[in-house]
Amino acid sequence: MIAAPTLSSAFLDAPGQSLPSPLLKLREQRGKALVDMPLPTRKTENWKYSSRYLKLDEALAKTLPSAGKSGPGLAVAGYHVVFHNGVMVPEASDYPDIAGIEIKRFVDLDDDEARELAERLDNTLDSKAAQMARLNTARFEDGLLIRLQADAVLDQPLYIICETDASSAGTAYPRIYVDAGRHSQITLVEEHITSGSEPAMTNTVTEFALSEGAHVTSVRLSLDGDTVQHIGATGARLHANARFENHTVGFGGPLRRHDLQVRLEGPGAECRLNGVVVTQGKQHYDNHTTIEHVAPHCNSEETYRNIAADESHAIFNGRIHIHPDAQKSNANMSNKNLLLSTGAEIDTKPELEIYADDVKCAHGATVGQLNDESIFYLVSRGIGRQEARALLSMAFINELVEQIPVDSVKDTVQARLNRFFDQTFDEA
Amino acid sequence: MLSIKNLHATVEGEEILKGINLEIKAGEVHAIMGPNGSGKSTLSQVLAGNETFTVTEGEVLLDGENLLDLATEERAREGIFLAFQYPVEIPGVSNMQFLRTAVNAQRHHRGEPEMNAAEFMKLARETSKQVDLDPSFLKRGVNEGFSGGEKKRNEILQALLLQPRLAILDETDSGLDIDALKVVADGVNALKSKDRAILMVTHYQRLLNHIVPDFVHVLAGGQIVKSGGRELALELEDRGYSWLGVNEETTAS
Repeated sequence: MIAAPTLSSAFLDAPGQSLPSPLLKLREQRGKALVDMPLPTRKTENWKYSSRYLKLDEALAKTLPSAGKSGPGLAVAGYHVVFHNGVMVPEASDYPDIAGIEIKRFVDLDDDEARELAERLDNTLDSKAAQMARLNTARFEDGLLIRLQADAVLDQPLYIICETDASSAGTAYPRIYVDAGRHSQITLVEEHITSGSEPAMTNTVTEFALSEGAHVTSVRLSLDGDTVQHIGATGARLHANARFENHTVGFGGPLRRHDLQVRLEGPGAECRLNGVVVTQGKQHYDNHTTIEHVAPHCNSEETYRNIAADESHAIFNGRIHIHPDAQKSNANMSNKNLLLSTGAEIDTKPELEIYADDVKCAHGATVGQLNDESIFYLVSRGIGRQEARALLSMAFINELVEQIPVDSVKDTVQARLNRFFDQTFDEA
Repeated sequence: MLSIKNLHATVEGEEILKGINLEIKAGEVHAIMGPNGSGKSTLSQVLAGNETFTVTEGEVLLDGENLLDLATEERAREGIFLAFQYPVEIPGVSNMQFLRTAVNAQRHHRGEPEMNAAEFMKLARETSKQVDLDPSFLKRGVNEGFSGGEKKRNEILQALLLQPRLAILDETDSGLDIDALKVVADGVNALKSKDRAILMVTHYQRLLNHIVPDFVHVLAGGQIVKSGGRELALELEDRGYSWLGVNEETTAS
């Protein structure tokens, strides 16, 4: 019998830089717990379809260096924070000083703040389900803490640009923690991009703690380059009457994995989770979502759409867990998938676990191809066959793109999708 | 304009068209009538280039050019237009986007500059009024949630925008009340021109009260069994099809 592969000890040889000591201590504890951590294989249930894409070579054990610079093309109008290889770049960042809103780097926290944060990090995530996120906690070099006092409202979206500089091999570990006080409001756009073209990885964790009545809208764009493996986890815990909205847009790559875990812990809490994924060539993308209905009278709405072209592979796993006390829960989950080629693969798995008896739950998953009648209708008007296919593919996800609540992000996504479909349906 | 010679076509191995011969000249309006299952819709679909059907014999020339050699989209760009009996609903693609893409594909083919969004919107809004379709329908998904009559008017709107050489109307009158029929007929009459031919496929005579054909043909069992002028349609209305030796209930569609 061959022993299951374990995490190379090189990954645990973390430099540990200028973080305040409570965070260094947390990292060290987490690192020790990862010694001999088994790596996901195809027998690992939540990595069944994706383990073959995961390449944790020793070259990736090196934390990518951050020279405190950032690549070109990061000009963003509006509030923004730039991370370069997991380390915040203050010179490239621009955000206002607003009463009741603190935006701080982890390395700038004093010991008390750091101690409090160390106690809260990882609390939104089920580490068994998002096992790779543990590596982030053992390795992060910096991070962003956003704290909104009660009733504080950020008047514009805050962009967090996470650049992975793949000029050399290694991994970046961006980390974000948002503490949204009672009735506070924030819209956060997390954008993952790449410069350089060496094999690299980004392992990123974002957590949201929503107090009573807080409203958080998060948009997550994965635009990483094609030499970068991306492992991301997002966790959110909601108290009573809080609302969390997440729009995930992902373009495929050598490995793309996002775990999204939402816990509805107070009555009246609600979440909307939208996801759009497109893959082409030999690309991969895997979304795993979990919604925990812990408290009664909570609502969840989830809509994910995948489009897989060529020989690519898209995966959706959506779990809804209704706890025994969560009476009057309302949960809707829909996952529709479009295969653009016979060589493409889509795996979808809705999982419902319901332990309360007075709930409304609906789920549906479909996998289909473009409709021949629709194509005939369009080409019978003189529209080219490939253009017709692109129009129909876009139509499949348009509703979700339209719902992205930040116009500039919507425009970026539209442009990227147009390029994706141009490449997929190249007339030549 | 259009010359159909000994056209045979099959679907899933079953022969539906069994030797159609038809000559249509520019400026003419032809009506093809016949019982259900006679092959009327098949003929429309074959001319438009639906690949569900296989042409096994015969030829179709459009101004001397072999139409059957052209892909569906090329036929459209050469001026063939089919108003569908059952227009397809396409949620997620706005009617405006669809119409502009179609018009620009054809302009591109003719070497004309594309129309920008503003120019096109003006044209589309004006034309939609011509078929009594509120311009708000331009913003909706293609045919999405349209009533039967609205779908048919949207077909005529497309014909008016695309200005085809040959407009084929497949059961355009079906499912229309009398007011909607009048609107659709007005739209079709607006299409009439000395450079354009119109081929109407219909089960009933009533559309022909509004759009007067120059020629009427009876299609039965996959062949044209009788041709005549407008009076033939009236005779069919009175006497049905049986006097022509045609069985009303044949199987194909």
